[in-house]
Formats: sequence, structure tokens, C-alpha cells
Amino acid sequence: MKEKLTKVEFTNLDKTIFPKLGIAKAQVIEYYIKIAPKMLGVLENRPLVLTRFPDGINREGFYEKDAPQGKPSWVKTVKIYSETAKRDVNYVLCNDLDTLIWLANLAAIEIHMPFSKADSREKPDMIFFDVDPEPPATYKEATTVALLLKEKLDNLGLESYVKTSGKKGIHVLIPIVPENSFRETRNFVHKIGEQLAKEQKLVVSEFKETKKPGKVFVDYLQNSHGRTMACPYSLRAVPEATVSTPLEWSEVKKGIKPTELNIFSVVKREKDPWKGILENKQRLKV
Amino acid sequence: MEKTSKVNVPRRPIWTGSLTIGLVNVPVKLYPMIYDRGISFRFLHKSDGHPLKYQKVCTKDEKVIPWEEVAKGYEIAKNEYVIFDKEELEAVKPESDKRIRLDKFVDYFSVDPIYFDRSYALMPDKSSDAYSLLLTAFEKKGKAGVGRITLRTKEYPALVHAYKGAIVLTTLRYAYDVVDPQGFEELKKLKEPEKAELDLAVKIVTDLSGEFDITEYKDRYRQKVEELIKKKVKGETVVVEKPVEEEAKGLMVALRETLKQLEKK
Repeated sequence: MKEKLTKVEFTNLDKTIFPKLGIAKAQVIEYYIKIAPKMLGVLENRPLVLTRFPDGINREGFYEKDAPQGKPSWVKTVKIYSETAKRDVNYVLCNDLDTLIWLANLAAIEIHMPFSKADSREKPDMIFFDVDPEPPATYKEATTVALLLKEKLDNLGLESYVKTSGKKGIHVLIPIVPENSFRETRNFVHKIGEQLAKEQKLVVSEFKETKKPGKVFVDYLQNSHGRTMACPYSLRAVPEATVSTPLEWSEVKKGIKPTELNIFSVVKREKDPWKGILENKQRLKV
Repeated sequence: MEKTSKVNVPRRPIWTGSLTIGLVNVPVKLYPMIYDRGISFRFLHKSDGHPLKYQKVCTKDEKVIPWEEVAKGYEIAKNEYVIFDKEELEAVKPESDKRIRLDKFVDYFSVDPIYFDRSYALMPDKSSDAYSLLLTAFEKKGKAGVGRITLRTKEYPALVHAYKGAIVLTTLRYAYDVVDPQGFEELKKLKEPEKAELDLAVKIVTDLSGEFDITEYKDRYRQKVEELIKKKVKGETVVVEKPVEEEAKGLMVALRETLKQLEKK
């Protein structure tokens, strides 16, 4: 008997996904297999939104909330009523390695996750600060703001976690006990943004200011039911095949570049800076 | 080491004639040198195991047509043919004058292998002295003679050269039978590589440089089929196993490692 390592039937492994680097689907799957031990914990029981690029990132991809047709029976899903679509949507839950491999084989290059779990959807277990630079501001300006933000959170006694978005932005998160509403976490992030805007002229805190050139928006609006972010270690559909990479704050300070964190380099990073993030749930004093 | 069963030397020449250079005539016999040793199968009737044969069937009334009633047609437009009798085509067949005339001598390596078609061994036909003289001259100068030969019904450009102590004739393809790759659209879009990338590519090529040895390459499909045939002859049942794709092999290695890590957690 031959051992069977996965339930997934691989298809079209030689399909080119990242044409500029000549990366085929086999390498995308290999990446997700290798990174899985660091990824699976955070994903657990979160209804996922996928961005699929079956013909590579230079062709149009598509957002997918509904579990795709032909889903094997062992893939877990959760049914959630969508207000906008006026119907139930079957979201994929990725709680095991096989599901992650199955997603990779579907060319779900980007995996996006919400800030609450399927069983307590109205109570977020993470607060999300999306530090988003508006050109000509770049990742460098985002770094400045993220470090200020960390200092502010430190002063409030809150331990925060940081990752690159994989593009220009920086994501800062605080794991919390799921007891607050999204309105409360959203207001909290908004308030912190306002304070930062007062102290540092780079920062804007209001949605209507987001397009001001050269500014960095601390986006609070994502702290809402149904909103998502690229999950930790998700590949991004950009030519350089970057990864939304969890970092140590010391690496942010040193100015590590998001373009250096890609499909090849991230699997070689030994430590997982987000290790134990969900065991470090903190309480928000509202 | 795999035992390579040598191809036996063919017994009968397929052509006899002479090699002509100016006024010198060397009678030679031509033997095939190239064999396509793929594995060939016959089609059988699945239920009784008997070989199948082909029949020519008329597309109009599905009747089987005997050879005497077969003619050749050249399609000039869709479904429109000009018909030739066998005799008509026979009459214009190039007549082999039983000579390989060498017009000039060129550097063997100046002929791009893309034009090489098929090689034949030329053997002396009661002409050992002249053959030996010619061979030695070829070897000394490292040159190859260019000429033409008519084999069966076709005239070929040909190269006559020394190979492992023998005179060998290699038929060549006509220029119009070879595609000019510059016709491909893809080549028009090529960009100049950047210097850093080029340096890396050059380094890889340098690191992997070596001597060419054709015996490093084996026909793996043929080997596997031969194994299967042996097993079948012995009466062993053959288990059909879908091979893991080449790309999937790397994935299996990664999978084992990840499964080990996940187990530890």
C-alpha cells in the first residue's frame, strides 16, 4: 500500500501563477504546505474569503466567498446569511492542512480572514489597525506611523502584533477576549487614530481624508462584521509574490522591506513572531 | 550500468554505387546506421487476441477496394483532386545515377546539426585501397564533402565525412523544410535581460558545464515497458500504478516535513 499524504488531488501543477518570477502552481502549493504549521492556528474557524487566480495573476482573478463547486465532502463550511446578497453564503473554514492544500490547488492565492470566529461572529477576537500610506507616502512612512502606534498601545498596556500587508501597508493587531462589539473595537481604533493625527502630521484618522496624497490613514473601518484582511502568511497577488509576513517589532524598526518577504524567503524564517497570539488575549477597557 | 544491446551490423546494403570526386571513383555500398528502437505494439482483437489488419474502404459506399483500383490523388481544393496513375508518377521519378558526387569540401562543424537527417555507413565495394585513402584524407583535414544522393524516389543533399574510422554519409534536409524560428511572434517580445539576472544565468550555465555523453540518456519509457513485458511473460499480474507527477514529488517531500511538524504540536 502506498501511503497517502493528502486527500487533495493535485491538478494543473505546471500552470504559471506568477509569470514575472516564473512561479508555477506547484510552487504556490509547496509554499502553503511549508508555511501551514505557522498559519493554521490563526485561521481556525474563520469564514474565509478567497481571491483566486486560476490563470495566473496577470489574468483577472475573482473574489470568492461561497465554497466553490466540486468541494470535497471533507472540507468544512459555515452557512452565513448575507444581507447584501439576500441569501445564505457557504464560507470555507480552513482548520486543517488538507483544506489549505485544497485552497492552494484552487489557485486561491490570497486568503482573507475576518476578525471574529464563526461561532461568535459579532464579538471580534482581534482589533485591527490598517496602516495605509497614500502615495507618494510609501511603506517607509507607514513604518513611522506603525512604530508610533505601537508606542501608544504599549503605554496603554496593550501588547500588539505587526505584519506587512504584502503591499505598501502595515497591519497592527491586538488579540482580545471576544466580549466587545465591532462598534466598540472600531471606536477604539478611531480614537487612537485621532490621537496619532494630533501628534504626527503624517497621520490622517478620518475616512474622508484617505486620499490626501502623502498621508498615512489609520483605517478603523475594517473593524466591522464581514470585513477581512489578508491573513498572516497569505501570498499576495503581485508580480513579486510577496507574503503578508508577521514581524518582530525590532524588524520593523530596522526597516525590513516588504519586497524582501516573498514566497521563497518567508519559508526560511525560523521564528514565527505571531506564535501564541491567540493565547495572549487581552481586555479592552472601553 | 545498463547493458546496452548493440545494434547488429545490417547484412544487406540498401544502395550501391560510387563516390565521385573529380575524376576519382570509389565504388561503395550504403548501409543504414540509424534505427528507431521504440517499442512497437500490434493492435489485437481484445476478445480473441488476433491481430487486426487494415483495409482501404471507399468513403462513398464503404466498400473494400483492392489495390488494382487504387490511384493517387493530389488535393488542389477542398474535396477536389487531380488523379495520377502509378505509371505517370513513375515516369517523373528521379533516376538515381548511382553516384554520390562531391562538389566541395567544408568544415564538418560549420554545418548546423539542424539540417542532419539520417546517417548511413559507406563501405568499400571491392575498393579497399581507394576507400582507405579517402578516409585518411577526410580524417587528416577534418573536412566533410558536400554532394547529393538519390535514395529511392528522393534526392537529398548529403554530407560525407569520417566517423569512428569509417566514411559516413548523412542526408540533409532542404532549407525550406526547416522553420526559421524568427517567424515566431514570441521572439519579437523578448526583452534585454538585466545585468544582475544575466550574471546569475551565466553562472548557472558555467557551474553545470560538462562533457557530452549520449550514454547518460536512457529511454526510460522503453525500459519500463520492457520490465512489464517480462513480468507478463512470466505470468505475473501487473499492477497499474499512476506515477506521481514530477512536479508533485517536491510537494510530497514538503508534505512529509509539515505533517511531522504538525504532529509535534
